[in-house]
Amino acid sequence: MSRKASEYRSHVKPIWCPGCGDYAVLNALTRAFASLELRNENIMVASGIGCSSRFPAFLKTYGIHGVHGRPLPLATGIKLGNPSLTVVAVGGDGDGFSIGGGHIPHAARRNIDLPYIVMDNNIYGMTKGQPSPTSPRGLQRKASPYGSQERPLNPILMTLAYGTTFVARAFSGQPKQMADIFRQALLHPGFAFVQVLSPCITFHNTYDHYREICRPLPEGHNAQDLQAAMTAALETETQYLGIFYRDDQQLPYSRRLQLLRDRAPKLTLETVLDRFRR
Amino acid sequence: MAKELLKGNVAFAEAAVRNGLQAYFGYPITPQSEALEHLSKRMLELDRVFLQAESEVAAINMVYGAACTGVRVMTSTSGPGFSLMTEGLSYIAGSEVPVVVVNMMRGGPGLGNIQPAQADYALMVHTVGHGDFHAIVLAPANIQELIDMVGLAFDLAEKYRTVVYIAGDGSLGQMMESAELPPMKPLPTERPAWATIGAKDREPNAITSLFLGAEPLEAWNLHLQKKLAQIKENEVRWQEYQTEDADLLMVAYGTVGRICTSVMREARKQGLRVGLLRPQTLWPFPAARLNELAGQVRGILVSEMSAGQMLADVERAVAGKCPVAFHGRLGGVFPMVDELLAELKKLDQEVSK
Ligand SMILES: Cc1ncc(C[n+]2csc(CCOP(=O)(O)OP(=O)(O)O)c2C)c(N)n1
Ligand code: SF4
Repeated sequence: MSRKASEYRSHVKPIWCPGCGDYAVLNALTRAFASLELRNENIMVASGIGCSSRFPAFLKTYGIHGVHGRPLPLATGIKLGNPSLTVVAVGGDGDGFSIGGGHIPHAARRNIDLPYIVMDNNIYGMTKGQPSPTSPRGLQRKASPYGSQERPLNPILMTLAYGTTFVARAFSGQPKQMADIFRQALLHPGFAFVQVLSPCITFHNTYDHYREICRPLPEGHNAQDLQAAMTAALETETQYLGIFYRDDQQLPYSRRLQLLRDRAPKLTLETVLDRFRR
Repeated sequence: MAKELLKGNVAFAEAAVRNGLQAYFGYPITPQSEALEHLSKRMLELDRVFLQAESEVAAINMVYGAACTGVRVMTSTSGPGFSLMTEGLSYIAGSEVPVVVVNMMRGGPGLGNIQPAQADYALMVHTVGHGDFHAIVLAPANIQELIDMVGLAFDLAEKYRTVVYIAGDGSLGQMMESAELPPMKPLPTERPAWATIGAKDREPNAITSLFLGAEPLEAWNLHLQKKLAQIKENEVRWQEYQTEDADLLMVAYGTVGRICTSVMREARKQGLRVGLLRPQTLWPFPAARLNELAGQVRGILVSEMSAGQMLADVERAVAGKCPVAFHGRLGGVFPMVDELLAELKKLDQEVSK
């Protein structure tokens, strides 16, 4: 490898709490960039708002700290504005599944060619610990003193159901595997969703819990088999890690747009005048 | 009731509870989340409705729905969340259901910061979103006034079936002060006749902002405008400090209004005859009184934690009767007493020329 992960780190020191799961995500993503020998100036990372969304500041790449819940539309605009960039969308579970939840099906539907990494800590970290859409039912926090009542979302099952062409789960306690998943997600020609179990040590420390229940996907898991992926996703007592599903055959959106442009009738002075002559 | 040491966000939330708040929907955002957290506990122990929504768009539409059923309902937020709510607020205004919204303004534009600011003035005062409408906008300057304005907000919202905003700022939400909460009021036993409570023995009600024809929509708008005219007539509120003999006037609201009381005292010590007008309603704006005072004083100094948003309303009210100067601080910075004092002296010299 001729590039080092540290070459993708900016001089800004992360302000995350010591032990926050997001450090591992930063390390893994920069390792994935290095393994693909991406040029810094060809990368752009778009985030929403939250502790996890501070991410772009810590990278020596292009980056934008966007609007709460909107990293996907933002990244879509970036990718279509400059398809030659490697665009990565990142954010938290509150950002992505709560306020921004409505954008995921459409990114999947379009198969927009970018990875979306959600640092899922099952809590709102930045606003000091309110329950999030992936908090376990019954979680008692400041905004849920009697226990949260909603059932947690299943992000893997959800994105599979949306038709996402690459769906994976990683864990901050297993950074090596995470870096490899990110590498694969970056190579995937289409929308790649990666849920990272990334504990918030301050408001919802789940390291021990996840260490206990995380396992690699069952041996022989076929990532081309959507049903097998869904079956594995339905398992919640065990949290499987790895690439649940992958379909590299679908055209990514920027490619579809190009084909559409190629097919659209080209305007000349004559064809424009013709419209008025009719 | 005795005075207690209360944090602004907890104070307005508890004041709402005691004024008969029946349902609260909100989404966490600094510097206002303590209100949501307080209500998550209080509303449930009192057998009322609390829900943490998935976004401010969801929260305001839940508020809209609950308001249609005739319950006392409220939400609270800060800048970015308020921007998202404007869509729902326009519908709420157009369909005439009473709703109270607290906005603890923070520095903008965009994500800005979580420091206190007053830069949402134009968004709150000059419109409720798309279409022609104004919310009643109350501007408390301290925690006691914040508490008192919660009760007023509900009363006005229900009296006029309209949207009422409480325009606070991050410092008002975050600071602690000694203040007195109202006694617990009993919940209303009946819901208003216009609400969705079943149409037994009467014509069904329609709650809508949809009027397909141009003439019917114009008629509806004229009806709404008539209501706004009534509000303008009856609900203008402000406080004056030492205006009787003033020949210089400061105009400021909320936290800056409070800072200006210190400026005024200091200025008077130094021999300047300064008065203060502090609007308590930003809409309707105390324009008539300001116009009168503009005829009395030699000059006016406006201060805001913004680039000068209320300034436009002041200038319109003054209508050229006297010079109007402005001093604002941006991005979450307070104007300080000595800064404002210097501005007053400058104004004094300019108008003495
Ligand atoms: C429109 C809007 N509403 C609310 C907020 C306040 N806010 C900032 S971050 C955040 C949620 C953070 O949780 P998550 O996305 O899970 O990220 P984490 O901090 O846990 O990494 C919220 C509600 C905001 N910035 N903008
Ligand atoms: S509050 Fe939680 S999510 Fe935020 S930096 Fe600290 S550990 Fe990480």
